[in-house]
Amino acid sequence: MSALGGQARGGDGINWKGTAVGIFILLVAILITYALEQSLIPPGLFGSLQGVALVVPLIGIIVGGALIGFGVHFVPVGGAPAAMGQAPGIATGVAMLAAGAGLAGLFGGAWAWETTHDFWITIIGGGIGGGLMMAITCLMVNLTYVFAMGVPSASGKVAKDPITGFTFPEFKSQGTEGHGLPFISYFGGVVGGFLAALGGTLVYLELLLVYQPGLEKLLGIDAGSVAPLAVSLAGIFAIGFFLVNAVLSAYNITGTIEGPHDPKFKRVPRAIIGCAVASAVCGLVAILTVVAL
Amino acid sequence: METIVLGIGITALAGALATVAGAAEDTESDIGSQGDPNSQVQLAPQMGYIHRIFNKAVSGEPPAYGLWCALGAGVAFAFLQILHNPALAIILGSIVAVFVQGVYCVTAYLGRTASLAKFEQPVYIDVVKSLTPVTMAHAFVAIFCTVTMCYLMAEFLHHPFALPLLGLVWGIALGAAGSATGNPFYGKERQYQNQNFGAGVPISASGNIVRYAEAGQRSSLDNGWFTTKFAGPASGICFGLIVFLELWRTVLFEHELGQWGAVIIGFVLIVIFAIIDLWVEKWSRTTYGPYEKAEEASS
Amino acid sequence: MTVKMEASAGGIPHKTLLIGGLVTAVVCIYLTYLNQILGVGYFAFFGGIAAVAALWWGSDTIKHLCSYGLGTGVPSAGMIAFGTGAIAMIVATKFGIATPIVAVIIAAIIGAIIGYIANEIINMNIPVMIISLTELAIVGALTMLGLASMACGSFLFENMITNGAIVTAVGLSGAENAGILVANIDATGTLIGGCVFAVIFMLGAIALQHPFNACLGPNESQDRTLMLTMECGFLSMIPVAVISYAYLDLVAASVSLVVSLIGFVYTLREYFRLSRRDAYAWLDAKPIREVGGEQ
Repeated sequence: MSALGGQARGGDGINWKGTAVGIFILLVAILITYALEQSLIPPGLFGSLQGVALVVPLIGIIVGGALIGFGVHFVPVGGAPAAMGQAPGIATGVAMLAAGAGLAGLFGGAWAWETTHDFWITIIGGGIGGGLMMAITCLMVNLTYVFAMGVPSASGKVAKDPITGFTFPEFKSQGTEGHGLPFISYFGGVVGGFLAALGGTLVYLELLLVYQPGLEKLLGIDAGSVAPLAVSLAGIFAIGFFLVNAVLSAYNITGTIEGPHDPKFKRVPRAIIGCAVASAVCGLVAILTVVAL
Repeated sequence: METIVLGIGITALAGALATVAGAAEDTESDIGSQGDPNSQVQLAPQMGYIHRIFNKAVSGEPPAYGLWCALGAGVAFAFLQILHNPALAIILGSIVAVFVQGVYCVTAYLGRTASLAKFEQPVYIDVVKSLTPVTMAHAFVAIFCTVTMCYLMAEFLHHPFALPLLGLVWGIALGAAGSATGNPFYGKERQYQNQNFGAGVPISASGNIVRYAEAGQRSSLDNGWFTTKFAGPASGICFGLIVFLELWRTVLFEHELGQWGAVIIGFVLIVIFAIIDLWVEKWSRTTYGPYEKAEEASS
Repeated sequence: MTVKMEASAGGIPHKTLLIGGLVTAVVCIYLTYLNQILGVGYFAFFGGIAAVAALWWGSDTIKHLCSYGLGTGVPSAGMIAFGTGAIAMIVATKFGIATPIVAVIIAAIIGAIIGYIANEIINMNIPVMIISLTELAIVGALTMLGLASMACGSFLFENMITNGAIVTAVGLSGAENAGILVANIDATGTLIGGCVFAVIFMLGAIALQHPFNACLGPNESQDRTLMLTMECGFLSMIPVAVISYAYLDLVAASVSLVVSLIGFVYTLREYFRLSRRDAYAWLDAKPIREVGGEQ
């Protein structure tokens, strides 16, 4: 099953030189934002928030991107072998499954912001939306495995479920790497959906908070007219950020992962740093949309 | 009160539409062997098993359905600007989306199959002629239901996202739910019907998919017939539950408990689903029991 | 995916495709500016041609990148290209007449940084990673810019947020100019306000990854893949032309629709011809040929 995995990869370690350059890029992005905020944007644009209004959203976007990268690693995805009962996990692609959960959460979060205008309710609500999507999906996956295929859950990477204490080797059918969705993977799926949707909603909300006042000022139109523009731009950019971060995380995972107990999970710091840097750069450019030239 | 009643009605309707969409989506992808089971259809000729299965690898189901539903919603949205007639706009949007879907299916089958010439897999052009309309029909049901559902959300529940963005969001979620639930059933139970029930497919058997039917040769229509018995409805319930509960918890509880109601209810639902899952896993372990080595040797 | 990805050798060199695609795309996007100069709408279809050219180049880039095996399949490359391209393109639309050039530059910067992250922080260590993701980001930005300008007749931000009204290029050229637009526009139905943008995003992303994804295999041949790319490009133009009925006048949208249909029919026929050429056999209602697998 590793016809594609033949290329040289850096193992599980961290490339310190690359990481240092990445963090430098991240800091430069924040510095540029700070400079924009201080000098290039006319005073009074963000009211009393003058002085923090761009840097704080950018930091929010960076945190959101890192959360997406972190969350994707929890999602148990088995890819093609899972569809044949040859490997545990959900039988689909990691980036897109996470995107499905994250966008379902983004839907809930955007709605919650519309009615409550409360920061914490919005992002937690968005996260719960993603977690709920994964909870239902993972349950249906398990129902399919157990009742339609007659296959009990067995992990291929560990001998014992860290949460329930179930043992796996005797439940693994011959010639496979395990199958089904053990409870630890279920837990990972829910946590992953929650974190990814939390990050996605955070990115959306921070962008919205920049675009709403920014576009009002830039276009000289009132808040009601600018709302659909701000929501649509923030929404599509949030999806763009989500896809970039999810695909970068999928590259880090190289295809399949069983959940938080998988040895590949040790690679997660790389993805967090990578996603944070990517979000910093993309966030800076996205914020430039409302900066007058 | 009236808005709440309307909201619940819309929620129920959206959930029902989502259920139909999920079932149609999974059946469509199974008839076309889209998603992960596609790898086996692709692998079979390399192992010497020439087949007549429809092999339309457009991409994973989530991006593909993200496109079909966003496209249906986007064209419907554009027509709404001109016609102001939602029913007509949604139908026209779905038709345009299905046209694009059909062309992608045909080109995917031709491309993949022509690239397998080395393994002597011929292009069976009648497979394209007979099965593309079937997948288009199923895709139409899925797209129409999803776009209608998105329209209800935008128009009556006042979700801030515009219709095309809702189409993209729910299209990707539809593909994710459908492929996650439906793929194992098609991949294991149908493609490898010749393998033991109640066990995974041994890696050594990869590529040896079932190519003959009870009488004659298996066509992908048989696969749709088979997967509508379980995978389709299961995917439908999965996506229907996702949409219904997502809307239900917000419509009913968003103003409760200091506006934290929807969040708390969502968390409670997650815990309930986790408990059900744990019970299912325990049930399978006690009922099926561990595999016995002696029996395994015969497979 | 268990399928081994093999890219065909030979054919048109990648550098030719790169230069040809880039130049054609930028020039064609500029041709839509004739709409602003002449005050008409029927040059919008050049945006779609630009998208076809950009995709034509991009699918070859995807082939080079994915022949290294990313572990996540081909579609993810299309997604990351358009995720970065979308951000670059929207920002670039504010630069007035310089938009296409700025889109290329911003997309190149973002793409290069994402490629560096993938290679050096995530340790992919794929030699063509940085250059490929840079190219793909540019392809994403140009494709979206082309299709967006096809839908609303212009590549300028102010036209994408007003309902199709082709205003002369004024540019959002500074804070002192803020308020140049009508005081209270209704942006709900516009290209950006209505997020029709999301459709263009997905149309481009699938059209970019589909050709190589559909043609991969031992007998992949470059001319067939590229023909499929053009077919995907023209196919993507059709719904955009349909959408443009909402933003452009009847004649302009019809011109776009006719051009895309002609291109689509021609490229689809050619693709059928090339598939027939490459296929092992072209059978209609014939049984399975057994070549060695067990009966």
